[in-house]
Amino acid sequence: MSFADIIYFILPLVIASAVPLSLVALGGLFSERSGVVNIALEGIMIMGAFVGALTINYLELNTHLPIQLIAIIGLTIGAIIGVLFSLFHAFASINMKANQVISGTALNMFAPAFAIFTARIIFGTQRVPIENSYLMNIPILQDIPIIGDIFFKGAYISTFIGIIIFIIAVIVLYKTKQGLRLRSCGENPQAADSLGINIYKLRYVGVMVSGALAGMGGVIFVLSFSTNFNASVAGFGFLALAVLIFGNWNPKRIIMAALFFGFMRVISSTKAVIPFLNDLHLEDEIYLMLPYIATIIVLAFVSKNSAAPLAAGEPYDSGKR
Amino acid sequence: MEYIVEMLNITKEFPGIKANDNVTLQLKKGEIHALLGENGAGKSTLMSVLFGLYVPEKGIIKVRGEEVKIQNPNDANSYGIGMVHQHFKLVHNFTVVENIVLGYEDTKHGFLQFDDAIKKITELSNKYKLKVDPNQLISNISVGMQQRVEILKMLYRDAEILIFDEPTAVLTPQEIEELMLIMKDLTKEGKSVILITHKLQEIKQVSDRCSVLRKGKYIGTVDVKTTSVEKMAEMMVGRKVDFIIDKDVANPKDVVLEVENLSVYNHRLRKNVVTNVSFNIRGGEILCIAGIEGNGQTQLIEGITGLNPISNGKITINGIDISHSSVRQRNLAGISHIPEDRHKHGLVLDYSLEKNLILQTYFKELFQHKGFLKFNEIRINSDNLIERFDIRSSKGSVTSVRSMSGGNQQKVIVAREINRDTDLLIAVQPTRGLDVGAIEYIHKQLIAQRDAGKAILLISLELDEVMNVSDRIMVMYEGENVGEFDPAVVTENELGLYMAGSKRRDQ
Amino acid sequence: MQNKLKNFFLNNWIGISVGLSLFILIFILPQFFVDNTSILMSIRGLIAGITVAYIIYKFIIFKKENPTFKPSESVLLVDIAGSLIAIVIGLLFGLILMLIVNPGQAFQGFSIIIIGGFNRGFKSFGDMIYFSVPLVLSGLSIAFAFKTGLFNIGATGQLTMGAFTAVFIGVKWGAIGELSPFLHWFVALFGAMIIGALWGAIPGFLKAYRNVNEVVTGIMLNYVAMYLNSLLIISYIYNRDYARALDIKDTAVTPLMNLQYLFPDSTSINGGIVVAVVVVIILHVILNKTTFGYELKAVGYNRDASKYAGMNAKRNIVYAMVISGASAGLAGGLMYLVAGKYLQPVNMLIPEGFTGIAISLLGLNTPFGTLIAGLFYGSLEQGGYYLQLLNFTPEIIDVIIAVIIYASALGLFLQKFVIRTLKKREMLVEQGLIDTEKEKQKNIEGSDK
Repeated sequence: MSFADIIYFILPLVIASAVPLSLVALGGLFSERSGVVNIALEGIMIMGAFVGALTINYLELNTHLPIQLIAIIGLTIGAIIGVLFSLFHAFASINMKANQVISGTALNMFAPAFAIFTARIIFGTQRVPIENSYLMNIPILQDIPIIGDIFFKGAYISTFIGIIIFIIAVIVLYKTKQGLRLRSCGENPQAADSLGINIYKLRYVGVMVSGALAGMGGVIFVLSFSTNFNASVAGFGFLALAVLIFGNWNPKRIIMAALFFGFMRVISSTKAVIPFLNDLHLEDEIYLMLPYIATIIVLAFVSKNSAAPLAAGEPYDSGKR
Repeated sequence: MEYIVEMLNITKEFPGIKANDNVTLQLKKGEIHALLGENGAGKSTLMSVLFGLYVPEKGIIKVRGEEVKIQNPNDANSYGIGMVHQHFKLVHNFTVVENIVLGYEDTKHGFLQFDDAIKKITELSNKYKLKVDPNQLISNISVGMQQRVEILKMLYRDAEILIFDEPTAVLTPQEIEELMLIMKDLTKEGKSVILITHKLQEIKQVSDRCSVLRKGKYIGTVDVKTTSVEKMAEMMVGRKVDFIIDKDVANPKDVVLEVENLSVYNHRLRKNVVTNVSFNIRGGEILCIAGIEGNGQTQLIEGITGLNPISNGKITINGIDISHSSVRQRNLAGISHIPEDRHKHGLVLDYSLEKNLILQTYFKELFQHKGFLKFNEIRINSDNLIERFDIRSSKGSVTSVRSMSGGNQQKVIVAREINRDTDLLIAVQPTRGLDVGAIEYIHKQLIAQRDAGKAILLISLELDEVMNVSDRIMVMYEGENVGEFDPAVVTENELGLYMAGSKRRDQ
Repeated sequence: MQNKLKNFFLNNWIGISVGLSLFILIFILPQFFVDNTSILMSIRGLIAGITVAYIIYKFIIFKKENPTFKPSESVLLVDIAGSLIAIVIGLLFGLILMLIVNPGQAFQGFSIIIIGGFNRGFKSFGDMIYFSVPLVLSGLSIAFAFKTGLFNIGATGQLTMGAFTAVFIGVKWGAIGELSPFLHWFVALFGAMIIGALWGAIPGFLKAYRNVNEVVTGIMLNYVAMYLNSLLIISYIYNRDYARALDIKDTAVTPLMNLQYLFPDSTSINGGIVVAVVVVIILHVILNKTTFGYELKAVGYNRDASKYAGMNAKRNIVYAMVISGASAGLAGGLMYLVAGKYLQPVNMLIPEGFTGIAISLLGLNTPFGTLIAGLFYGSLEQGGYYLQLLNFTPEIIDVIIAVIIYASALGLFLQKFVIRTLKKREMLVEQGLIDTEKEKQKNIEGSDK
C-alpha cells in the first residue's frame, strides 16, 4: 500500500476512535470542573450504548425510518439515559457526600451486569444486534478532492454529531456565564459560595452533562465499531479518563490525546497492512498498552503541575464557611 | 441619619462559647472605623454576622436607618455591604476580570461579555488607585494585587460599606502603605470602611474611630486622634483577675535549646515568615514567646520541631546540631511538643485513648517486643496517665478520642508529652479550651517540669498566662524577635505595645 | 473489638436467637427431604443447636452485667448495621427486578439466591468456599489498602499479573515438581504473590514520592496488565488449539489438603481456603498487633499526625501497597492454579478485582469481616449459578452486588450520626453528669460492701 493509501485508510478510523474518546473525556472534564470526580464514565457509556442499541434495534425492525434518523434518535436516547444514570452518582456524591470513587465503581459494575441481564431477557442472548451499517456518504462534501475521500465518504453520522456536540460543549463551558460559575465550583467552592453561586445545582449540572456526553459517546462507539452491542465498550470509558488526564484537563489537549490514543488503537489492529510497522514486529498489545503507560509516565513527572480542578473529589459542606 | 450601619446588641453563640455578647457597633458614613481586639475577642465573628455568614441569636442590624435581616452574602451585597476576607476567596486559574465579575456577569446573546466589565474595572481602578492587570491569572499576580482584586470585587458590586479583615497580615510594608492610601481614598469618595485589626500603628494611621472588643464583650468606642496608643492597648488587653502562681524563683542551668538566626521562607507568600530569630533557653527556666497570632510563632515552632524545613540558621539541643534532622531524630534528641492544632498534629482521632498516649513512644522497648505491641503495658501506661492527669472519658483507655471533648483531648496530648520527660518541652497554647481547674493544673505541671531542670518553650496568646507562668518573655512581631523581657518588671500594657508593633527593642 | 462484638450479640439476643431458629427451620431442616446422609445432617443440627444455646446463655449473662449499654454508641454496631442495610437494599433491588421480569418465579428465584451456598448441602457449600477464595483475597487486598488510607482499585491488575506468573511457573517449571509434590504449587503461588506485590508497589511509589493519585495509576495499570497478560500468554504458553493458556502440570495444581473429606460431594473444593484463612490471620495480626500496623493505620487515619510522631509516611504507603498487591497476586494465583481453569488472552479485565471492593466494604475493611463477606458473596454466587435452572440470568447477582456497593457508599453518613451521639455522651461526662467507667466500678464495689 502506498503512503497515501495508508492515510486514506487509517485517518477515518482514527477519527472514528478519537471522537467518542474526546466526547467522553469532555464529559469527565465537565464533571470534574464542577468538583465531582466521575470514574463511572465506562458504566455510563455502557448504559447509554445498551439502551441506544435497543432503541436502534427496535426502530430497525419495526419501522421504516431512514437509517440515519434512527441513528440520531439512538444518540439522543443514549444521552438521555446517560443523564438519568449519572443522577445516581450525583446524588451519592453531592447530597450524601459519599466517597466518589466508590460510587463511580458501583455504577461501573452495575451497567454491564444490567445490560447482560436485560439483553438475555429480551433477546435470549446478551448481544443486541444492529442490522444496518451506518456508513454513509455525505452529499456534496464527498466530492471535494482528497479531503472528501478521507472524511466524507464512508463516514458515520455519529462521528459528525459527536464533533458538533463537542464544540458546543466547549463553548458552553468556557464562554458562557453558567460555564464560568461551574468551573469556579471545582476550583474554589468557598469563593463561589461567598458570591452567592449555588454549588449544589451546578455540580448536579456538571455530573448530568458528563452523563449525557458519556451516554452519547457509548452510542457513537457502538455505531462506529460493531454490528452488535455486547455489554462492553472495550474499556473506552477508562481510556477516556486517561485522555482527560493526559490532556491535562484542557479541551485542545484532550483532542490531541484522543487522536494519539485512537491512533494507537487503530495501528494495533491494522499494522499488518502497514509495511513500516509490520517490520517492527511488535505485538498488537504493545500499541494498546502505550496510551496507558504514557499517561502514567506523564503523571509521574507533572503531578505537581497538573491542572486538575483543585476542589474536585471533595464534598462541599456549606456548614463550614 | 448619622450612622450608615448599626449593629445593636448582637449576641452570637457557638456550642459552649459566646463569641459576641451584647455587642454594639455603629458606623458613620464616610469614616474608617477600626475594630480592635485580641485573638478570640469576637471581631471576625461580628463581621461575619454583618456579611451574612452567620445569623445572630439576639440583636438587630440597621442599614441607613432601617432594620434589615441579612441571611447570606447575597443579602449583604444587596444592602451595599462587601467584605475583603483575610484569606482571599479567589479562583486561582481565572483571570482578574473573571474573578471580579463571577456571579455578576454581563452576557450578550448568552455569551460572556467582558468589555464593559473591563471598562468599569479600569474606571474604578483609576479612581481608587487600585492598580490591577485585568487579563492576568490570579496565580501569576502578587499578593498585593490579589488583595486589590478582592477590593474591586466589592466596588464592582457598588458596595458602599467595605469590611477589611486583617488586611495587612500578608502584605509587605510597602504594600501596607499603599493600602492605607487606598482606604483613605475610598472614604473620600463617600464609602465607609470597617477595619478589623490588632495593629495599633495602622489604627493610628488611618482610622477615625475605634471600637474595642475583649473576650466577646464590647468595651467601648474611642476617637482615635485624641486617644493614645497606650490607652487603646489597655482597653484591648484589660485588667483581669490575676492567677498568681506560687512558684519559686527559677534556677536556670545550662543552655538546652539554642536558636541562632533562624529564618523560615514561605513560597506562597514569597517572603520570610520568620526572620533572623535568635534566642536560647536554659534547663530549669520557662521562656514564653508572646505575640498576636499570625506573627510567625507557628512557623518558628515548625522549624524547631522539624515539621517544616528552615531556610537559614542553626538549632542545637544540648549542643547537638539538629537544624536538618528528621522529626524522629529531634524527638529522640530530647524534644517534646504539645502542638497548636490538636486535631491536625497532636492526635489520631480514630485511635483510642491508650493508642494516642503512645503516639510518640510506641517503638520503645517498653511498648513493643520484636515488633509486636505489648498491650498490657500500653494499658497500664494509659490508666496511669488518666489518673495522674484527670483525663475524663466515659470508657477510659478504650474511648475513641474523636468523641472526647476538646479539653480532654488536650489533656491527652499534655499528659503524653509531659510524661516523656525530655530536656526540652515545647508547649503551644497548651491551655486553650480548658477550664480554670485544668489550666491551673497544667501550669502546675509546667512549673514542676521546670523545677526538675527541664527547659520549657511556651507559646501563648493569653497575657496573664504569659506573665504568670514564664521566667522570661520574648515578643514576636511580624516574624522577628522584637524584645526580651522579665515578667517581674514589664507591665501587660507595655507588652501589648510590643505585640502590636508599636515599639521594638533594638538588640 | 472482641468486647464490642460480644456487646452486639448480647444486646440483641432475642433478635438473633429468633433469626437463628428461623434459619435452622427454613434452610437446614428441609434438606432432610433431599438425599443426604442423615448422620451428617444430625451432626450439623447438633452443632447448630449447641451454638445457639451457648449464645443465648452468654446473652443472658452479659445483659445482667451491662444494663446501660446503648447500641447507638458503638461505631462497630452502626457499621455492621450499615453493611446489613446495604445488603438488604441490594437484595430487594434484585427481587424487584426479578418480579418485573418473571413474576411467577420471582420468589422462588429469590429464595435460591438467599439460600445460596446451601442449595445442595455440602456440595454447594464446598463449591461456595472454593469460589470465595479469590474474592476474599482480593477483598483483603483492598481492605488492607483502605486501612492505610489508599484505594487500591488496581487490584485487578495485580491479580492478573499474579495469575499469569502462577500459570507460567505451573506450565514451564515442571522440573520443580519432580523434587517434591507440593513444592511446584508453592513456588507458583509464591511467584504470584511476589509479582502481585511488585505490581502494587508501582502505584505505591508514585503516590508516596510523586503524589500521583493511586486510583488513576491503578486503573492504568489494570489495562497494562490485561494487555501484557495476553501478550505474554501468546508468546510463551499458548495453546493454539483452544485459544487459551497451556495446561499447568499436575504438580502445580492447588492441593486438596484433605478437605474433600469434609465436603464429599463438592467437585471444586481445594486447599485455597486454607491459604486465604492464613492470610486473613496474618493481616489481622499485622494491622492490630504490631508496631508496623500501628504506623500504617496512623498514616492512613491522619497523615499530619503521623509526621508529627516522626513516622516515615512515604515508606509506609509503599509497604502498604506492596502487601496489598501481594494479596491480590495470591488471589490471581489461586484462581488459576486449578485443573480445568485456563487463562485466556482476551482483552477483558478480570472482574474479581472489582468485586473485591464490594467484599471489603461489606466487611468493614477488616480482615475477618472480609472473610465473612467473601463467603457471603460466594454463597450469593452459588445462588446465581443455581438460578439458571429457573430461566434467570446469573448476572442478576452482579447487579445485586453493584447496588450493595452503592448503598454502602451512602451509608457513610450513618457514622457521623454515631459520632454525634458519642460526643453528647462525652460532653455529659465532662460536666460530671455521668460517671466514667472507673467511678461506676467504684460504685458497684462500694455497694457490694
